[in-house]
Amino acid sequence: MARRLFVVAVVTLALSASGCKQKKQESAGGQEARSKGNIAVIVSTLNNPWFVVLADTAKTRAGELGYEATIFDSQNDTAKESDHFENVIVGGYAAILFNPTDADGSIANVKKAKEAGIPTFCIDREVNANDVAAAQILSDNYAGCVELGQYFVKKMSQKGKYVELLGILGDNNTWNRSKGFHSVVDNYPGLKMVAQQGAEFDRTKAMDVLESILQANPDIDAVFCGNDAMAMGAYQALAAAGKADKVMVFGFDGAKDVIDSIRDGKIVATGMQFPKRMARMAAEQADEYIKGKRDFPQKIPVAVELVTRENIAKYTAYGRQSNE
Amino acid sequence: MKKVGKYTLTVAVLAFLLHRGLYFENLEDIRQQRRREAFNAAEYARDFWDNQLPGVLDKAVGTKELIGLFNTDMAQAIERYGKTPGVSRVYAYLLKGEGTILAIGENGLEVSVEEPQTNPDVLIETGFYIPGNAVRDASGLIDVSKFSDTMKFNEIGGEINKIVVKDVIKPFLDKGPSTGRTVRFFGATQIARDAAEEKELQLVRIVPIKLELE
Repeated sequence: MARRLFVVAVVTLALSASGCKQKKQESAGGQEARSKGNIAVIVSTLNNPWFVVLADTAKTRAGELGYEATIFDSQNDTAKESDHFENVIVGGYAAILFNPTDADGSIANVKKAKEAGIPTFCIDREVNANDVAAAQILSDNYAGCVELGQYFVKKMSQKGKYVELLGILGDNNTWNRSKGFHSVVDNYPGLKMVAQQGAEFDRTKAMDVLESILQANPDIDAVFCGNDAMAMGAYQALAAAGKADKVMVFGFDGAKDVIDSIRDGKIVATGMQFPKRMARMAAEQADEYIKGKRDFPQKIPVAVELVTRENIAKYTAYGRQSNE
Repeated sequence: MKKVGKYTLTVAVLAFLLHRGLYFENLEDIRQQRRREAFNAAEYARDFWDNQLPGVLDKAVGTKELIGLFNTDMAQAIERYGKTPGVSRVYAYLLKGEGTILAIGENGLEVSVEEPQTNPDVLIETGFYIPGNAVRDASGLIDVSKFSDTMKFNEIGGEINKIVVKDVIKPFLDKGPSTGRTVRFFGATQIARDAAEEKELQLVRIVPIKLELE
């Protein structure tokens, strides 16, 4: 028994030490004395610039509101995400700004935080529950891809072969995007999807997947990608195959490299999500919660806007030029 | 020799049982299937259409008044009549009116609601499918927060659009509308806050909820 207690104590100390180390590395410095409390920003991955912007903006806004904010990277791994929640609960954080890795798999973590009295505010991605998070601020992926689908049909003149690259299969955003797109495109029998494969929202994986698809389908006319990182990977694969001028690539996110590529005439269109707006809203809602407010709408869809070569002048990376 | 036969038989029986009793399925497929089984978007949309939507049609604003507000005071149009399920530059409106059919195209009827009735003001969509969520959102009756996942909310929008095509557009087209005739309508539209500068207001697109020929 004594030995078991000793092991538990050692593990707890080790966890606390690693938590402190991480906090020191990533937290907004110099504000500890004046801090209103700690806020955790738990993000699905930092291996994608879009999520880096999301996490950094949440952290910065929380800092502006007087909190000490720390970013935790789940590396798209629900087990790591679960560890982060454990550490955050033990660490006595005041709120969690959360970008989940899995719509179903992440519910238990949010529930655990709620039971520990820590409110969770989901950003961009949702959890499939409406009674565990304090609020969920979500990209309206489906409606965004309906609009993107309409533009796709127009650019394809209602006919041709295309490939769809899906994101992470356990993420609702993947399916909301795909279904929104197909709710339009599937009405046109002249548009044939020759391959639909997952590439986990990852640029390198998208490049590899499209390279192998091109072996069997060298005559495609377009690629619809569930995010911008995959769109850039798809474009790279097409460029390597000498097809970049012939095949149209459509993305989704509004990331910097794709906005630049639309401006340069490489990528045809994307759906602009607003990671900065969503992250700021989440931090502000967490602040309001800490101050006593409780009546937040459970799910708040944030509209996605179509960005094309025609209207690119109105947009910048991750938002509108007008700073909306 | 007897032993070898016994072992062979045991291995064969085990292999058979494993083959019959053990199979692999994609976890995400199972999750999606469970979600679909638990919720029927078509039934929800039908109940919405038959029992809930008629109760809010008396709140529909006149199309002339609404287009007037869009052009003169968008903020007022949004405040008085606009609805959005979340944060958006685009708002949905329930509207009603009547006008003269000036043209019938693949995507809809070009209708003039203003005098002189020479230029179309609205396009009443009568295509073979309806995209978007105009009716769902303009009704203001369906709260996204009531759903555990937003896919259900989106599926309802799609099912409502199917009802529009089946119950409104097809029967109306069967009556043989022609140019010069008057059409009375209830419908829904989605307009961006900055529609005036985007020139979206030149032809306001309307998803029909009721269509009648005079």
